[in-house]
Amino acid sequence: MSVPAFTGSNVMDVDAAKIRGAGSNVHFDKVSVAYGAHVVLHPLTLDIAPGEILAMIGPSGSGKTTALRAVAGFVRPASGRIRIGATDVTDLPPYERGLGMVVQNYALFPHMRVEDNVAFGLRAQGADKALIGERVKDSLATVGMSGFSKRYPRELSGGQQQRVAIARALAVRPRVLLLDEPLSALDAQIRRNMVEEIAKLHRDLPGLTILYVTHDQTEALTLADKIAIMRDGRVSSHGPTAELYRRPPNRFTAEFLGRANLLPVTVAEGAAGPKGLATAKLGDAVLAGVARGEKPGDKTLLCIRPQHLSLTGDEEHTNRIVGTLREVHWQGELTHLVLDVDGTPVRVSATRLPVSLPERGSAMPLFFTPGDTSLVPEDVRG
Amino acid sequence: MAEAAVLPASPALRRVPGRFWIVPPAALLALLFFYPLVLIVQQAFLDDSGMANVAEFARVLHARFFLNALLNTITISVAATAGCLIVGLVLGLILAFVPFPGSGVIARLIDTFIALPTFLVTLAFTFLYGSAGMLNAGLMEVFSLRAPPVDFLYSTWGVVLAEVTVYSPFVLRPLLAAFSLVDRGQIEAASVLGARPFRIVRQVILPAAVPALIAGGSLCLLLTVNEFGIVLFIGAKGVITLPLLIYSKAIQESAYQVACIIAVINIALSLGLFGLYRFAAGRMGM
Amino acid sequence: MLVWSRPGRMLIWAVFALLFGVLFLAPLAVILLSSLAEQWNGVLPSGLTIEHYSNVVRGAAWNAVNASLITGFLASALALVSGTWAALALRVQDATLARVLGVLFFIPSAVPSVSVGLGLLVAFSHPPLLLNGTIAIVMVAHFVLISAFTFGNVSAGLARLSPDFEQVASSLGARPAYRLWHVTLPLLAPYLVAAFGLSFALSMGELGATVMVYPPGWVTLPVSIFSLTDRGDVFAGAALTMVLVAVTLVLLLGLERVAGRQTRS
Ligand SMILES: Nc1ncnc2c1ncn2[C@@H]1O[C@H](COP(=O)(O)OP(=O)(O)OP(=O)(O)O)[C@@H](O)[C@H]1O
Ligand SMILES: [Mg+2]
Repeated sequence: MSVPAFTGSNVMDVDAAKIRGAGSNVHFDKVSVAYGAHVVLHPLTLDIAPGEILAMIGPSGSGKTTALRAVAGFVRPASGRIRIGATDVTDLPPYERGLGMVVQNYALFPHMRVEDNVAFGLRAQGADKALIGERVKDSLATVGMSGFSKRYPRELSGGQQQRVAIARALAVRPRVLLLDEPLSALDAQIRRNMVEEIAKLHRDLPGLTILYVTHDQTEALTLADKIAIMRDGRVSSHGPTAELYRRPPNRFTAEFLGRANLLPVTVAEGAAGPKGLATAKLGDAVLAGVARGEKPGDKTLLCIRPQHLSLTGDEEHTNRIVGTLREVHWQGELTHLVLDVDGTPVRVSATRLPVSLPERGSAMPLFFTPGDTSLVPEDVRG
Repeated sequence: MAEAAVLPASPALRRVPGRFWIVPPAALLALLFFYPLVLIVQQAFLDDSGMANVAEFARVLHARFFLNALLNTITISVAATAGCLIVGLVLGLILAFVPFPGSGVIARLIDTFIALPTFLVTLAFTFLYGSAGMLNAGLMEVFSLRAPPVDFLYSTWGVVLAEVTVYSPFVLRPLLAAFSLVDRGQIEAASVLGARPFRIVRQVILPAAVPALIAGGSLCLLLTVNEFGIVLFIGAKGVITLPLLIYSKAIQESAYQVACIIAVINIALSLGLFGLYRFAAGRMGM
Repeated sequence: MLVWSRPGRMLIWAVFALLFGVLFLAPLAVILLSSLAEQWNGVLPSGLTIEHYSNVVRGAAWNAVNASLITGFLASALALVSGTWAALALRVQDATLARVLGVLFFIPSAVPSVSVGLGLLVAFSHPPLLLNGTIAIVMVAHFVLISAFTFGNVSAGLARLSPDFEQVASSLGARPAYRLWHVTLPLLAPYLVAAFGLSFALSMGELGATVMVYPPGWVTLPVSIFSLTDRGDVFAGAALTMVLVAVTLVLLLGLERVAGRQTRS
């Protein structure tokens, strides 16, 4: 699918073109938000690079929507500044910020046909007719909804309404697209498809900066270039998606992003082994893990993902722990085992099982590669 | 709304658009409603020369015509509200839980009664129960009586019956809303377990209906205290209520100060009931 | 279904039919019948005639219909504008002020209509605000009495309106006025129509305040019905009442259809 064409005649469009070429970054500069005395966003500093998809995830009430609405202009920061590109938008009303927004239940205007919904932003900005027609066509084509322009929103399925909502936001050539849990009203199957569609959309519009708020880690992992994990109104961690997953900087991140086994270990003497590895002791077992500047004697956590634990050892899987088998859950594609290792439940996702599995309650060795692990500090709070 | 400022931010940030848009409608209401209201209160306590004078107020308060009207107003209001609650509850229970073909239409029909003028019912009642009405004519014919046997219309009870007719939809409406939230499964489960209808009504349905009954009931109290048309149309000598007294003092006797004094008391009573209604409705989440 | 046995249900429905018949059906039926009655001394009228109706389109009665329609239309239109305006403007006030003002806007519906009329007489009988004796005072009285209902209806509609619609509109670049006209008001339309219908109906039936303030020459339907029946001309009164009922119902049902179409599209 081609990038929708735009004409350079319109003033607003020249602007948009510049932005689209270069992309527009979003910068939170010590932005805090409070409702009365209740602080819901502690001074937040965060940068979303031009053309980047930043997924903001975190538990309910952690302030994700608040941060997004501060960018949109519906929540006024108590302190701090928000910049989009070179513009400080903190004092601009929402309608002068040049954003696109898609909300959880789409909020398509029920009294307008699909085409009028998509045209809404341009009409509101007083664009000329020809441009509007062209943009509506392009935007609907981008989301694959060209055939539905005469329908009313109530005549569309949830997924279709979702696409129209995105088309409506894209039609104004936003500098930044704000998506607040855009898929949470859809059921699992359609949601998976839509995640792929949004990924494709971003390939088609690589200059578009996207702030994607979700509490679904799969969506975040699939789509995002970077992830910010929110907790209690603060950014608990922020970084490139794969990095954050492989080397979680704290326990909360490790547990929130994917599943993690976190074994309490003590960093051994003469740490800092080869290839950035450190040795650590879990009871009697000596394990190697990717270090993060720990000192010998530090108590820390060894993070290992369930799919990295193997039931059989080889020369790569040099780490070995022994646990007691507690539960076996067969789930078709995967089998989940839960073992007890020194009082810590350890979860294993295995694609293949050995021919004979030991009885429940009997001891069983687990193997893993040091490179798959990381040492994760225990959270200071909570 | 979330658009409002969230913290006392720096003055440059305080740009809540449109705060002053409330001024025109508020000013209009102040001029056309609250200003006259204030003048009524003022008139009630000033004599013709413009001096403060509480004596007249005290005199009216002790006057027989006033006390009678007050008593009438309260009696009628309480009795009519009780009637509305009973009628509304019976109709509501049947419409909600023993529905029949067409019950939806009937419910809507009763609802439109809210929009009809109240005196319509009184007028109809004179044809039905008046001394020359259908009922009396029928009874006199059948039992060859000389005088009309049914004679409640030109009394307090005539007014009460008319008000029950007019205002029971105001109870029915919130009741039906409350009933629609009652879990049907619970009722079915109870009847499967062998509970008798009365028991189900008492233990499952009524508790759910209490807030609606309180809200509807307090609204009825308010509206019946303020009712004018019904009482005027019945026109019985003995049945004078506060609103009717205000009318007759002001228009028929041109005794404006007395009218204002009575109006002050009537308004105070109404506002008290309005407070009760808001409280009840607020608790019901309406 | 609460009562399962057939006889039980029949009994209950009989109770319902009795209540409904006596309280709601009989009054309407009897008004209809009497509006067509020639004479009525026995159980039933002695003859039927449409004379009372044909009188309606002439003279005083027709003036009353006119007065009521004009008053109702103007007062409701003004109430609609002011109620909608107030409800919209209240949203940007801070919570406490909004609550207090909200109650104040409701209060006119709580005081007896007669005292509203009395207040207008007291306040507007002297220059520079001399309304007494003019048609305007009737409009004002009706406006005051129904404004609370439009305000209430529109507020209820606004409360049900998801803020998302307006916020999405803003984020797409719609300025407040554009947003109001193209998003908020269309979405409120069903409530506006319903509010207008209800206030029109209330205005058509208003008696208490009107009877206090009406000038000669602007006799509304209820006042005219009252003076007819007071004079003993009950059949003419009944016919006029039927006209009032018919106009009210046609208006309500018609507007309901309009509102229904609005929500569907
Ligand atoms: N209008 C408001 N008034 C007061 N508190 C609010 C308001 N809106 C949100 N909050 C509070 O701010 C905090 C953050 O809310 P926010 O909506 O940003 O959470 P979230 O991370 O988006 O959660 P979710 O995943 O449930 O959507 C919550 O504690 C919430 O109760
Ligand atoms: Mg949220």
